[in-house]
Amino acid sequence: MQQRSEQFLDSADTALQDKDAAQRRDLMALFAPAMRDAAVENFTAYEATRKHVKRIRRHSLDNLAHYLAQFEHQAVANGNRVHFARNADELNSITLDICQQHSAHHIAKGKSMVTEETGLSGFLQRAGLQVVETDLGEYIIQQAGETPSHIVGPALHKSRDEIRALFLDKHPLGERQLDETTALVDEARKVLRPQFLQADVGIIGANALIAENGYSMLVTNEGNGDLCANLPRVLIVCTTIDRVLPRAEDATAMLRLLVRSATGQAQTCYTSFYSGPRRAQDLDGPLETHFVLLDNQRSDILDSGFAEMLDCIRCGACLNHCPIYTGVGGHAYGWVYPGPMGSVLTPLLTSLEHSNALPNACTACGRCAEVCPADIPLPDLLRDLRARENSERLNAPRWRLGISLQSWLAGKPRLYHALTGACIALLYRMGRKRGSFRRLPFAGGWTSQRDFPAPQGKTFMQQYKEALREH
Amino acid sequence: MNDNPRATVDAKTGPQVALFITCLADLFRPAVGFASLSLLQRTGYAVSVPMAQTCCGQPAYNSGDYDAARTLARRVIEVLAPADYVVVPSGSCAGMLCHHYPRLLEGVWHERALELAARTFELTSFLEEIAPRMTHATPEPATPAGSGVVYLDSCAGLRELGIREQPRALLRETRGIEAGELEQRDVCCGFGGTFCAKMPAISAKMADDKLDSAMATGAHTLVGGDLGCLLHLAGRARRRGLDIELRHIAELLAGETTGPAIGGEL
Amino acid sequence: MSTSARTDIFARLRRVTSATQAENVEQERASLGSAPPPELPADELCEAFLVNVLKNCGSAACASNRGNAVRAVAEHLYRHHRQHRLVAGNDPRLAAMPWRDAGVLPRFGALESGELVALSFARVGIAELGGVVTYTGRHNPAVNNFLPERHIVLLDVADLVADTEEAWARIHRASDKQGRPRGINIIAGPSSTADIEGQLVYGAHGPRHWHVILLGDVPEGALDRARAATGSAEPD
Repeated sequence: MQQRSEQFLDSADTALQDKDAAQRRDLMALFAPAMRDAAVENFTAYEATRKHVKRIRRHSLDNLAHYLAQFEHQAVANGNRVHFARNADELNSITLDICQQHSAHHIAKGKSMVTEETGLSGFLQRAGLQVVETDLGEYIIQQAGETPSHIVGPALHKSRDEIRALFLDKHPLGERQLDETTALVDEARKVLRPQFLQADVGIIGANALIAENGYSMLVTNEGNGDLCANLPRVLIVCTTIDRVLPRAEDATAMLRLLVRSATGQAQTCYTSFYSGPRRAQDLDGPLETHFVLLDNQRSDILDSGFAEMLDCIRCGACLNHCPIYTGVGGHAYGWVYPGPMGSVLTPLLTSLEHSNALPNACTACGRCAEVCPADIPLPDLLRDLRARENSERLNAPRWRLGISLQSWLAGKPRLYHALTGACIALLYRMGRKRGSFRRLPFAGGWTSQRDFPAPQGKTFMQQYKEALREH
Repeated sequence: MNDNPRATVDAKTGPQVALFITCLADLFRPAVGFASLSLLQRTGYAVSVPMAQTCCGQPAYNSGDYDAARTLARRVIEVLAPADYVVVPSGSCAGMLCHHYPRLLEGVWHERALELAARTFELTSFLEEIAPRMTHATPEPATPAGSGVVYLDSCAGLRELGIREQPRALLRETRGIEAGELEQRDVCCGFGGTFCAKMPAISAKMADDKLDSAMATGAHTLVGGDLGCLLHLAGRARRRGLDIELRHIAELLAGETTGPAIGGEL
Repeated sequence: MSTSARTDIFARLRRVTSATQAENVEQERASLGSAPPPELPADELCEAFLVNVLKNCGSAACASNRGNAVRAVAEHLYRHHRQHRLVAGNDPRLAAMPWRDAGVLPRFGALESGELVALSFARVGIAELGGVVTYTGRHNPAVNNFLPERHIVLLDVADLVADTEEAWARIHRASDKQGRPRGINIIAGPSSTADIEGQLVYGAHGPRHWHVILLGDVPEGALDRARAATGSAEPD
């Protein structure tokens, strides 16, 4: 997907002014944390599970070469073709090749953030293939020509009315009401059912790859991923190399955290493990199965101070709990991954230079880290990206200068106290009548939205010094 | 809660407490400093204000200038070395000293940072958990008991230092004030240091949400432990013409609430 | 292309990650053990399972023997579809049920267009999830899980375990004996989505209705207690 994170501030402004969308986001900010909290409170083993899974993930990533090799070996033994892709282009080309080898025209696709990263759907469509997103949220935004606004609920930014209008426009099914959400879902079911049945190739992602037996794990509530994985004659599973876990039980342990953190459920409807092509005893299933395993900077990240970001299980809890994300919505972030996790991943996976607004869209409140089931120190990683931004001089010179000046001055207490004393005395005199300033030089960012409270008099240090002298 | 009888703390030989005033209080609200001094003096400890203090280095740190932050951190560690306790009327500055200095520094300085962290406390945490029980200098509460005050949690204080119950307990026990609670009290007010100036529209939205919650409680005073949050919210409240006063908790606890509120007419 | 990509990726990973010997990696993994067992909503296993099935918006019934089980299927079929037909996989346990006793006519095979109800015999039931495990294959074609309007699942009490770890132990033992199934499906409720304004709706792509019949020695009153605990209405 093309990255537009440079436009963050402008996009955020636009988003803030859309009152209806803002209200929907406010509701999400209220309900999503409540549901997550209820699910976690009800799960007495939460903290212990979080610690256990963290140790498993660290162990898996520390030994990724070993486990990836083991997975490959098992997957091949199960009858899969396993392909490796260093970057988005390679994943897209490999996938297209497979489709073309089978003269495929019609692709049924499950939800996969990795394929959003690489822009796979668009790539296949430009090569003349028909690609249908089968996850309801993804289907809606595909029909609307939009990008996902949330990694779990890609269409949550759209109102029911908007979706109704979209379906009435895109589905030639004659006069009908479609007033209820159930009716919309029913229609999507009706429209998409033939897509599953007619597809030549199914493309899905994976929530985990199991090294001990070469299975991939896919979780959905809808069951669309399973239809993609069982009906078409070719199945392609696209995911990244860091998804490998040692044992099947590791994946389901991780799931206990994922589901509760993502939707407040205690489990997903469908937790499926697929190992490969149809066997002698199968009545259905793909005849040929492929894994396309993508690196796309993961090995670089593993080698950096940001390695812990790979522990992310894509639950979206950090999004739901971030007042900046819920304030401006996912599209403002300009790429596949929004919110706190997106503000770390976008610079790492694309370019810090073109997305440096994102790590700055943070007050370091720490709410994201508090709810992260993978215990990722998001505020620290975001700060480290700001440190990189600073050392690479990507931030505005006036900010760098201002901070350098303040820090330098703070290192010289007598000068600091004298200078601040003088400035504060001046501000006090200027502001004493009203008690605050509507405008102040060098403080445009502040005063555009707020008055600036006037100082009360001399600085504390001045007054204290004077009081000491008097005694 | 601390039940030590405070009758015989000798200010000369007892613990020496240093007040780390914080740059925002020093420049924009000295009343916080004087209230803090007053509160600390009532504990019977010897209280001083190290004159070489300036800033804890948060602006540099959060802006990613780690080198400048380290330089300031080392200075602060030196300046605060003599004190037995360091008390800070700010969750974010106390968090900077306790939580982030050790992360920033290595080797010997890392050890010194840990040592400083062990004796540094946010104001309400110190008063509630460490110091002997205060006596009341003024027998009458400065604001009518139990009415019209709602509490604003500081994100850093809450998540880095566990400051939640202490200020509420102090208000209740020493002032007879039962502070009201904000809806969605765990959500950030939108100050975030340089964030509020870099992303003013977003920070204003967050401020509005917080102020709307405060107005919905009917409270006349919003009180908190961090001046950054309070200056930002007070400024926004003034811009919107909202009828609510903002004060720092030190002022309420010390009974010094006759002066103007933050951003109010002087 | 892919082979040089493979070489590149593994070379980078070997440079970046640990060079521990395979046996030691396995040992380290073993030393980390298993996840802590999750708490169940009831002390007794059947009741805990049934509570979670109901919480997942599945419906449930109990049958003490196979005769009662086919009658339970018949009742459920008739109540909801006014018919006696369904499709069932080729699981020999299904073939061996006394269908004629209840007047039910199963067609054994994979679900076809127009067929509304499918019946599966689960391999394992997991109380922690209120879910069941099926393997794809002739015994239970995948389409029988995902395409019908209504999915009925039989589960033998003897195959009910407390948590997913125990389920894996059973699945691994079965795989060791009979080979790895192509697909292992854990199903815990009817198909659902909340993609439109966060509103929960059932029957997204998979079955709208999911009914579990627990077969065997179920403690007296377990289902009633489960219904009381979840505030669920009577016979499903």
